[in-house]
Amino acid sequence: MTVEAPARAVRLVGPRAELAGLVGGRADVGPAFLRAIGRLDARWSDEEIEAWAGGALALAHANLGGRCLDTFFRLAGRLPHQSAAALAGDARGAAEIGRRAGAKAALAALEAVPAAALRLPGHRDRACWWAGLARLAREAPDCVVLIAGQTVAALAAADGAAFESFVAAGLKAGGRSRERLRAFFSLEDPAARRMLERAGGAVGFQDLERPLRLFGLALWGSPPRLIALDGVGAAPASQRVSIVGGLIRMPHVYRGAPARETPALYRAALAHAMAHRAFSGDPRAVGRLRPLQIAMTGLVEDARVEALAMRRFPGLRSLWAPWHVARPGDAMTAAMLMARLSRALFDPDYDDPDGFVAKGRDLFSRAADRLEDLTLSRAIGGLLGHDLGQMRLRFDAKSYAVEPLYRDDNMALWDFDEPPDATAEEIEQAVEAARPTPKDSDDGRSEGEPQEQRSGRAREAAPDDRGVAIASYPEWDRAAGVERQGWTTVRDAPAAVGDPRALDEALDRLGGFRERIARLVRGARVGRAPRLKRQPEGFDLDLDAAIDAAIALRTGELPDERIYRASGVRARDVATVVLVDVSESTRERVGASSVLDIEKLAVAALASAMDALGDAFAVRAFASCGREDVRLIRVKDFGDRLDAAAMGRLAGLSSGLSTRLGAALRHAGAELGPIRSQRKLVLALTDGEPSDIDVADPLDLVEDARRATLSLRAQGVDVFGVTLGAAGSYGVFGRANTMPARRLEDLPDRLSELYFRLARL
Amino acid sequence: MALSPAAGRLSAHEIADEPYYRAVGDEVEIFAASYACRLPVMLKGPTGCGKTRFVEHMAWRLGRPLVTVAAHEDLTAADLAGRFLLAPEGTVWHDGPLTTAVREGAICYLDEIVEARQDTTVVIHPLTDARRALPLEKKGELVAAHPDFQLTISYNPGYQSAVKDLKESTKQRFVAIEFDYPEPSVEAEIVAREAGAEPELARSLVEVGLRSRNLRGRGLAEGASTRMLIHAAKLVGGGAALDAAIRAAIVLPITDEPDMREALGAAIAATLPQALRLQ
Ligand SMILES: Nc1ncnc2c1ncn2[C@@H]1O[C@H](COP(=O)(O)OP(=O)(O)OP(=O)(O)O)[C@@H](O)[C@H]1O
Ligand SMILES: [Mg+2]
Repeated sequence: MTVEAPARAVRLVGPRAELAGLVGGRADVGPAFLRAIGRLDARWSDEEIEAWAGGALALAHANLGGRCLDTFFRLAGRLPHQSAAALAGDARGAAEIGRRAGAKAALAALEAVPAAALRLPGHRDRACWWAGLARLAREAPDCVVLIAGQTVAALAAADGAAFESFVAAGLKAGGRSRERLRAFFSLEDPAARRMLERAGGAVGFQDLERPLRLFGLALWGSPPRLIALDGVGAAPASQRVSIVGGLIRMPHVYRGAPARETPALYRAALAHAMAHRAFSGDPRAVGRLRPLQIAMTGLVEDARVEALAMRRFPGLRSLWAPWHVARPGDAMTAAMLMARLSRALFDPDYDDPDGFVAKGRDLFSRAADRLEDLTLSRAIGGLLGHDLGQMRLRFDAKSYAVEPLYRDDNMALWDFDEPPDATAEEIEQAVEAARPTPKDSDDGRSEGEPQEQRSGRAREAAPDDRGVAIASYPEWDRAAGVERQGWTTVRDAPAAVGDPRALDEALDRLGGFRERIARLVRGARVGRAPRLKRQPEGFDLDLDAAIDAAIALRTGELPDERIYRASGVRARDVATVVLVDVSESTRERVGASSVLDIEKLAVAALASAMDALGDAFAVRAFASCGREDVRLIRVKDFGDRLDAAAMGRLAGLSSGLSTRLGAALRHAGAELGPIRSQRKLVLALTDGEPSDIDVADPLDLVEDARRATLSLRAQGVDVFGVTLGAAGSYGVFGRANTMPARRLEDLPDRLSELYFRLARL
Repeated sequence: MALSPAAGRLSAHEIADEPYYRAVGDEVEIFAASYACRLPVMLKGPTGCGKTRFVEHMAWRLGRPLVTVAAHEDLTAADLAGRFLLAPEGTVWHDGPLTTAVREGAICYLDEIVEARQDTTVVIHPLTDARRALPLEKKGELVAAHPDFQLTISYNPGYQSAVKDLKESTKQRFVAIEFDYPEPSVEAEIVAREAGAEPELARSLVEVGLRSRNLRGRGLAEGASTRMLIHAAKLVGGGAALDAAIRAAIVLPITDEPDMREALGAAIAATLPQALRLQ
C-alpha cells in the first residue's frame, strides 16, 4: 500500500506534530501511523485530529512497545465511524492499563476495542468500560488479559456501567484468591456469566424461582424441582430448559426476552416441562434413529403432551400461544419448516399452505382419540422425519434448537447410552446443598416438604470439616448498591463438647448472681397472670365494683358496668435466638479469662433464666472463613431443654476465624420464621465490627449487617446487639438497640437484664 | 320431619325448613346414631366445608332447636354458662346459651371451640360424660341436662398451632366426624345449587379451588373453601366477569403475598377455558 501524503497544511506545533516527530520515522510503527493519519485527514477536522493525536501521544509516552501503538493506529482503519474523542479515550485507557498491568494487558485491551466499540459505540459507555479495565489493572493486573479476551461475551448484555459493576463484583467475589479471580474474569466461574447475563437488567430465574415453584405446585399438586441451568466451561448457558431425572433445569435468563414477558415465558416453560412429566412416560431407547427423526419425534411428542395438558387445563393454551410465531414466508429451511409444523400442531386456527405441514397436521389430528398412546410420537415423527429427509432441506443437528423458546431440549425423552450431561445425582446434591431453606419457608414450612425442615437440613450434601451447607443468603454489595443473591453459604458446624461443670462453678462464683436471676424470673412469672379488676366481663364479680354499682343504682345514678374480675392471662409468648460471636478476637484476655469465657458465662446465665421461664430460645455460635463458609454451631435448639449436653456444647466453644455478622443474623431470622410467637428476638453478642478474610473493606460487612438487621425488623424480628469492649459502635443495630458492655465483668448481668426488659409484656 | 312442640325460650332456634345439605359420606348416619345415644360429636375439617350447614341440617332432621356459639379468644366460661347481672332489686342470674340449651334440650353447637381459652373448655367436661350435667358454681346449681340435649363442637386441625390445641381429656370425650372438601363433581353440584350457577361455571370454579388447595401448607394457610367458590359463583351471577369475581372472592382474601398472588393467579388462568373467561 502506498503512503498517502498529508492532503492539507499541517500545524507545526501540537500533538500531531509531536507525534509525527516521535513515531513517524520508526520502522515498526511509522507506516501504520502514516496510514492512519492519511485516513483521518480525509475524515476529520484539524481539531479532531489533534485530539486523536493527543491520545496517541499519551500511549506513546507510556512506552509499551511498538505493538500497542501499531494496534492503536490500525483502529483508525478498522473503526471508521468512531469519533476522535472515543479513539483518543481508547489510547489513554490503554496507556493507563499499561502503566498498571504491563504492555501485554494494554495490548489485549486494545485488541478488544473493535469488539467493545461494536457493543459500546458511545464515548461515555466506552469510558466506563475502560474505567472497569483500569480498576482491574490496579487490583488484579493478571486478569485484564482474561476479561479482554472475553469481551464479546462480557458485553453481550452489559453496558459500560454494568461492566464496571461486574468488575467490582468480581473483585469482591474473588477476594484475595488469585485462582478465584482468574476463574471469574475468564468467565469460567458460572457466577460471572450469570452476573453478565443479568447485567442488562434482565429478569431471570433467580427472581422468579419462588413464584414459579408455587405455580407448578398449584397446577399439578406436587412441587416441581427447579434449578438454574449453568453453561459448561465458558460456553454460554443454553436457552432451552433441560430436564434431567426429576429436575427441571431452567436458563438463568432468556436473553433478549422483554422483561415484561419474562415471567410468562418461564411459566410457559415450566408448564411444558410439567406436561412432559405428566404424560411423557419413561425415556425410550434411541436405537438407530437418525438425528432428524429424533428431533421430529420430539416435536410430535411436544404437541402430544401439550394437547393432553390442555385437556386438563384449558387455559394453558393462552400461556403457550404467544410464543408460536413461525409462519409461511419464513426462509425454507428444515428448522423453519419444523417450527411451522410445531405451530400447526398446536394452533388449529393457523393456516399454512405447505404440503408437509398439512400432512403432519392431518396425521396428528387423526390420532386425536388416542393421544395417551406413548408410541404415537415415534410413529408420526418417524413418518414426518422421512418426508422431510426427502425434501433435501439441510438439517443441522448441532445447531437445531427446539421451537418455540419455551420448550425444553427434549433430551429427557431419550435413553442415550451416555448421559448427555452431568448425572442427575450430582446436580441433585448441589441443589440440596444450595437450597435456601429459610427463603422458601412460608408460614413455618419449607417449600415442598412441610414437616421435614429440621431433618432436611443435614441431608445429602456431603459434609466436610466445615460442616454441611444448610442455607445460602444474599449479601449487600455496598459499592454496587445491590443485594448479591446466594452470596453466603451458612454451614452447620459440629460442636465440640466441653465440661459444663466449669461453667456451673463460674456461675456460682458470680456472687449472688443466681439469686438475682431467680428474682427476675419470679418477677416475670408474677407478671404473667395479673388480676384484672373492674372488667366488663368475667366469671367472677369484682365485689368492690359490684357494691359501687349497686349503690349507684340505688341512688339513681348511672352504674359503671365493669363489675367483673378476670385473670388476664397473657401468655408470655417470646422466641429468641442468641447469637454468640466466637471469632478470633474473642480470644483476647481480660484479666484471668478471655472474652469468650465471659461470653459463655453470660450466655449460660441468660439461658438458665430463659429455661426457667419456659421461654422458647435457641443458642448459636458463629464464625466465618470467607463467604462460602459461615459456620454456625448449634449450642441449643428451640425444641430442646437446656440440659447438660447443651451446657457442654456451650463450654466447648473455642475462638477462631472471622465475623460475618450479616449472614449469621439472616440465618437467625430464618430460624425464627417458622416459630409461632408474638415477639421474636435476636440477641447478638459480638466483640467488634464484622470482618472476614475475603472482604477488603470491613465497612462492607457493617453495612450488610445493618441491612440484615433492617430486613429482620421488617419481618417483625427485633434485633439487639450487645457489643463487648470499649470499641462498641452503633453502626449495625442502631443506637436504641445496642447495649455496649464496656466493663466485661458486667456482661452476664447486663445481658440478662436486657432480655428481661425486652421480653417484658 | 315433624318438630317437637316449640320449647318456649328456644322458638327462635328452631329450624323450620330443610337446610340443603349434600351428604358426602356416612356423616348423616353417624351423627344420627350418636344423637340416638346422646354422645357428643366433634366435626373436624377445614373452614367453609359445610360443618355448620351439616349441623343445621341434622338439627332439622332430628327436630331439635339448634343453639350455636362461635368461640373466640375472649370467650369466657361465663359467656357459655351464664352470669350474675345487677338489677334494681339486686343481682340476678342470667343463663348463658349453653345453659339454655342444656335446660331446654337443644343441640348446642360450639364452633371453633379451640379458639376459646382452656379454662372455658373444661366447662363442657361434666356435660360430655356420664354425668350429663352442668354445674353453675357461682349460682350453686347443678343443671341436669334435658334428655334431648346434645353437644356438638367443631375443630379445624389445620391451622391450630401446638399451643392452641384441645386437651387430650377434651378430645377423648367426642365421637369425631371428618369433613373435607367433597370430591370435585359433588362440590360442583353444591356450588351450582347454592349459587344458582351453570354447571360448567361451577365445575371450573371447583378446579380453581383445587389449584389453591394444592398450596395449602406451602404458602397458604388454607386453600379456597367451598364457601369461597360459592361466593365467586354468586358474583358472576350478579354480573361480575369471571376473572374479576375469582380475584375478588378467592385470590385477594386468601393471600396478601405478591409472589403467591402471581403464582395462584397464573395457575387459575391456566385452569380456566378461554371461552369462559371472556364471557
Ligand atoms: N355438603 C354440603 N352441602 C350443602 N352445602 C354445602 C356443603 N358443603 C359446603 N356447603 C356450602 O358451603 C358453605 C359453607 O359451609 P359452612 O358454613 O357449613 O362451613 P363450616 O365448615 O362451618 O366453616 P367454618 O369452619 O368456617 O365455620 C355453606 O353455606 C354451604 O353453602
Ligand atoms: Mg419438550
